[in-house]
Amino acid sequence: MKSRSLVNDSAQLQRAIRLIHLGARLQVLQSETDLPHERLLRLYKEVTGKSPAKGQLPFSTDWFVSWQPNIHASLFLNIYEYMNKTSDIDSVDAIVKAYQLYARELAASGVEPLMSITRAWRLVRFVDSNMLCLTPCSRCGGRFVNHTFELTRGYVCGLCAPPARAGKAKREGMIH
Amino acid sequence: MKNDQSLMNEIREANLSYLILAQALLRADRPQAIFQLGVSERTADLIGALTPMQLLKVAAGNMLICRMRFDDEMVWSLLTDNGVRPDHVDGNARRLHASILMAGQYAQSVQA
Repeated sequence: MKSRSLVNDSAQLQRAIRLIHLGARLQVLQSETDLPHERLLRLYKEVTGKSPAKGQLPFSTDWFVSWQPNIHASLFLNIYEYMNKTSDIDSVDAIVKAYQLYARELAASGVEPLMSITRAWRLVRFVDSNMLCLTPCSRCGGRFVNHTFELTRGYVCGLCAPPARAGKAKREGMIH
Repeated sequence: MKNDQSLMNEIREANLSYLILAQALLRADRPQAIFQLGVSERTADLIGALTPMQLLKVAAGNMLICRMRFDDEMVWSLLTDNGVRPDHVDGNARRLHASILMAGQYAQSVQA
């Protein structure tokens, strides 16, 4: 077994701490760092003061295409892709940075972040594995999260053509 | 009435404010700053490397050094609430719609 690099270890710890602060689930940390499980567990407890949530990540691709979440997911993914194209950084760092910008953009609009960092991470993985992608809207030209093999000619986004009941319930922090 | 000199002073002030803000953003987080500023990596490098003296030199003159990052009518009308308003969507949805369109426009910064 090769000896572990202290510098690399410390960088991974920093990355893990940033992710925990943003509310990432343990599965995200396991996948994005080489740190042993017990260490991540201890780190998680130390940073948050509680045990990590147990169980599988329940997310399916469908969540990302329903009306309200789709707007959140599309905003995040556009920022993420922008960052990936303009800066030479690791995917997980781009996720963290894009997520922070996403949260700030929402705060400016008075909307609660509906998408957690864990979901954002899942979204990027779904895009990497060709299950979801960005599809251009034929009306506004913006790009929105969509299933990859859906027919996309004449696609109209949920903001140009909102569903009938969309945004009727004007709760605090929701899109309306 | 404002004379030429005072307008030129205002341009210099705006240029200086922009450059100082850009440097602060770049120092805080470079990849995020490149998104927020909408500039290319190369331009980010150039702005980031300016010394205070160079900053003053670049800011002087009769031309603004930054320009609009979008000339898309759609974005303008979403941000200003002009144009046709879809039946159900108003308020913050328009602002978010504009944000999505703006975040999708990286062509300029990549090509530059």
